[in-house]
Amino acid sequence: MKRYRCTICGYDYDPAVGDPSHGIALGTPFEDLPGDWVCPVCGADKTLFHALAEPGLPEETPVSAAIDAQPAAISDAEKAAILSNLARGYQKQFRADEAALFTQLADYYVTRIGHEGDVDSFRAALKDDLSGGYAAAFEAARKSSDRGALRALTWGEKVSRIQDSVLGRWADKGDSSFEDTKVFVCDACGFIFLGQTPPDICPVCKVPAFKFNEVKRGA
Amino acid sequence: MRAVRNIRLCTKDCLCLYVCPTGATNTENGQIDWDKCLDACRACVDACPSGAICKVPHNYPPQQPKTDAVISAMNRLSRSKGKQRQAARAMQAQGNSPIARQLGQALEMSVIVTAEDLAREAGYMLPQSSEARAFLEKLLDEEQGAEFPADAARELLNRL
Ligand code: SF4
Ligand code: SF4
Repeated sequence: MKRYRCTICGYDYDPAVGDPSHGIALGTPFEDLPGDWVCPVCGADKTLFHALAEPGLPEETPVSAAIDAQPAAISDAEKAAILSNLARGYQKQFRADEAALFTQLADYYVTRIGHEGDVDSFRAALKDDLSGGYAAAFEAARKSSDRGALRALTWGEKVSRIQDSVLGRWADKGDSSFEDTKVFVCDACGFIFLGQTPPDICPVCKVPAFKFNEVKRGA
Repeated sequence: MRAVRNIRLCTKDCLCLYVCPTGATNTENGQIDWDKCLDACRACVDACPSGAICKVPHNYPPQQPKTDAVISAMNRLSRSKGKQRQAARAMQAQGNSPIARQLGQALEMSVIVTAEDLAREAGYMLPQSSEARAFLEKLLDEEQGAEFPADAARELLNRL
């Protein structure tokens, strides 16, 4: 029976072992796990697992896509991200005044970000990233031996998968499947965790639990 | 260089109070008094049993260079993250249930972190860099709405 690996945190589901703490008997093939079974380590759903290659078979290689040839003008949302990132840079240097000035500029662009879009446009953009954008960027970063970029891409790709899985779950099952769960976001990498308490360390970027912010449900 | 104390790590052993030649470590708010902290001293850093103090430099080396291929590939992703943030904001503004709005908010927070990380690795790591300076200058050159905080941009250019 095939083993499956979680693409978010690297946990291996081994059918020979099952997942007894969640009621999965040993000997249960991955295909027979219930649809609402999630990774016992990070909460990723079944779609975020991939089958491990049988010994001797090559791992599948990711498809690569052409690098964007025609850069468009930078959008307000991109400007906001550049500026809030520079504010974070000053926060790390304990320079609160300069950080506040960058935040002021970032906030200006945040107010200009439109509200066009919905779950479908969100998932379409994520699909674009996950089916080409990340692969192309990984290739460029590898060729340039840019390990900083590789780090950001490794985290970002996993976080994008989790975002897509949250959106997919909501599109399929609606509010009901979120009623009893709390929602946490890792402040260092953006990983979204659904559960009662955040994990001891972030499964994507390995920061401790206190770096998770809970997103409370309003009225 | 100035000393900073990480309150989360500080175990209040108070050795830093004894070793500081200027009393900079002894304050009512837990932060080290930068007006008193000496550039060349690191007595409290060495004495702290909890590794809770470090010295933060005034000046930083230039950023690591980025290749055009990396910048272009990161920008493509950044543009997509921009669309995703827009959609996440739409979920919050138009979501017709508390859970829809909560998820929209969590997704926006998540997208912001990934977008900032992409910006950082596309050449905007250090706020004092020539890249950040050029970016601010470009914003000042662009046509802007009345609300644009031009003074903040100018003030930053003065300080960078
Ligand atoms: S020596 Fe270190 S642990 Fe002790 S009070 Fe000072 S900062 Fe805190
Ligand atoms: S570095 Fe020296 S002067 Fe500055 S706070 Fe520490 S002991 Fe005091």
